[in-house]
Amino acid sequence: MLEGLSQFGSAFAGFMTPGTLFNVLWATFLGIVIGALPGLTATMGVALMTTLTFTMGRDQAILVLVCVYVGAIYGGSRSAILLNIPGTPASACSTLDGFPLARQGLAGRAMGISTSGSWLGTLFGIVCVALFTPLLAEAALSFQSYEFFWIGVFGIVIAGTLAGGDPLKGYIAGFLGLWIATIGQEPHYNYHRFTYGWADLSGGIGLLPALVGVFGVAEVLTAMRGPAYRVTSKAVDSILPRLADVWKYKRTIFRSGAIGTFIGVLPGLGEDTAAWSSYAAARRASQEKEKFGKGSVEGLMAAETGESACVPGAIIPVLTLAVPGSAPAAALMAAIMIHDFKPGPMLMIETPQLFYQIVAMLVIADMAKLVFGLTLVRPLLWILLVPRERLMPIIFVLCTVGAFAITQRVFDIYVMLFFGLVGFVMRELKFPMAPLILGLVLGELLEQNLTRGLVISSGSVAPFFTRPVSGVLAAITIFAILWSIPPAQRKIKAGVRGLFGRGRRPA
Amino acid sequence: MSEPEAQSVLPNEAPLPPRVDLVTAAVFFAVGIAIVYASWRMPTFYEQLQQTYTAPGLVPALYGIVIVLLAIWLAARAIGSGALRRGDERMRAPREGYSNLRLALATALCLAFAVGMVGRLTFWLATAIFVFLFILLFEWRKDQPWRERAIRIASAALIGGGTGAAVVLVFTRLFLVRLP
Repeated sequence: MLEGLSQFGSAFAGFMTPGTLFNVLWATFLGIVIGALPGLTATMGVALMTTLTFTMGRDQAILVLVCVYVGAIYGGSRSAILLNIPGTPASACSTLDGFPLARQGLAGRAMGISTSGSWLGTLFGIVCVALFTPLLAEAALSFQSYEFFWIGVFGIVIAGTLAGGDPLKGYIAGFLGLWIATIGQEPHYNYHRFTYGWADLSGGIGLLPALVGVFGVAEVLTAMRGPAYRVTSKAVDSILPRLADVWKYKRTIFRSGAIGTFIGVLPGLGEDTAAWSSYAAARRASQEKEKFGKGSVEGLMAAETGESACVPGAIIPVLTLAVPGSAPAAALMAAIMIHDFKPGPMLMIETPQLFYQIVAMLVIADMAKLVFGLTLVRPLLWILLVPRERLMPIIFVLCTVGAFAITQRVFDIYVMLFFGLVGFVMRELKFPMAPLILGLVLGELLEQNLTRGLVISSGSVAPFFTRPVSGVLAAITIFAILWSIPPAQRKIKAGVRGLFGRGRRPA
Repeated sequence: MSEPEAQSVLPNEAPLPPRVDLVTAAVFFAVGIAIVYASWRMPTFYEQLQQTYTAPGLVPALYGIVIVLLAIWLAARAIGSGALRRGDERMRAPREGYSNLRLALATALCLAFAVGMVGRLTFWLATAIFVFLFILLFEWRKDQPWRERAIRIASAALIGGGTGAAVVLVFTRLFLVRLP
């Protein structure tokens, strides 16, 4: 415990240099701007900055990405409150009560609630990262191929089930992502799969160009197709968070922090699911249910706390299992790997300093977010006034540079374009994109562990179901699939009702 | 003022007409079958390790089979919701403020930049032309007075040139990134 605190202290002190603090300030500000602008998402921001910072020192590069991630998730609430358009999908829930508050002339108060909720949410998540990451990493050390295989399948199924929208389409997107991950040289015989003599494909599909395509190019096309947005409230009251709001809704903050962090830990779900789940839980528990959707302080606080607590939560499985908890965390994981760290159970043994540094980075980014949250109101309003016709071509140029920068292959620009167009069409057809990206990330882990497990067991599938952790993960996965089939769901509910109903009946 | 719709993939969005899902299912069925066929044709390398668990086609074939099964599930659900019923097709009302023309123009400009200009022109020039054209075409109004139009053309040229210069300076000097 004391050793951990001292490691954290030295990581924190290591970042207290003028150059680092300068990086923190511009990166958090950039993140908030990216989050605030409709059409730019946290995933795109982290993916783009990954490619643009890879010549920096690895501590500084990862710090910049953490700041962009934390800032972007918070920044989305600004446009949710002022435009009724979520700056990032994570802030969609904040429009429900943020915009009605702004229309009542309380835009400043809404932003204050957003700032305090978001700051406390991230802080709650950071405490969970510090407490649970070492425990989970220790448990993960006992995992074998069977468990890692099920973690991969579980991630795809849970992301498909809970990512919002149609679970069936989530599964299809997830398995499509897994198949895309098999393109290129396979690990056992270096055989080229699905390349058809195209040399550029033999290295596989790069995660970052695909991410920039799905979350950048597709967003540019979506923004240009949709209606233009307008700032509806330029008059802003005091943005200082009220302590009374925080104290009154302390239970909501605690509950939303816990839900947000938990959703973050689950593979591939991300901040939007965290915000909706926290909001729904707050509404169920609230004594002022009728205010929800009409400008409820509690509703906005729940959504903001939940989505921001999810950010540190999503980093926990990255560090312990090499499985991203959200789409931006997938980009962050790619960056961590580019900088020669190995996320997964061995990280706490091989490079434990990275864990303490990431906790320190999250704390610093959260503080910078608070500072900007209290000061940056007018500049953000001006940025929101930039018409999309002038912003989107610049974003597309940045996407092109971002896709090219890492491997310096024009082929990666084509990959970005392909994924941008496919991502746009799939989104129009209501396919969630998080499972697709998660499939692309987990493809290698899943294939290696499935084949290794089969080789060890001489082709027997029994260990995939009979080992304790494997069995539990398999049961949850199968249950999640059954739950997404309406007739099966009805039968499960009836069965549970019958079981408990019979139990309550007097003898 | 009509309130603009939120971004897509929100949980509260209206579902698509069943016929669209049926066509989507058919496409994924074909993709799945193609994956299984291509995987089946891959060598197994049995003679090297005397087992087939590491055969290159095993895992992609598994994914292909799952995609085929999920596509059948999607098709069955769409048919159950009335995809094949005549005259029962629920057409989606066009969303207010959405324009396919704007989408086509944006796609064409992006493709022209990424495929046609990048690598053939100096990057700053390609960027300047792309940004200038993008702004000019999207801000073009038929009924604009010439004076206002001239101002818009000048500002588009200024933003285009400025973006080209800024991108080159920031990325090559500050981030030390090579440009295409």
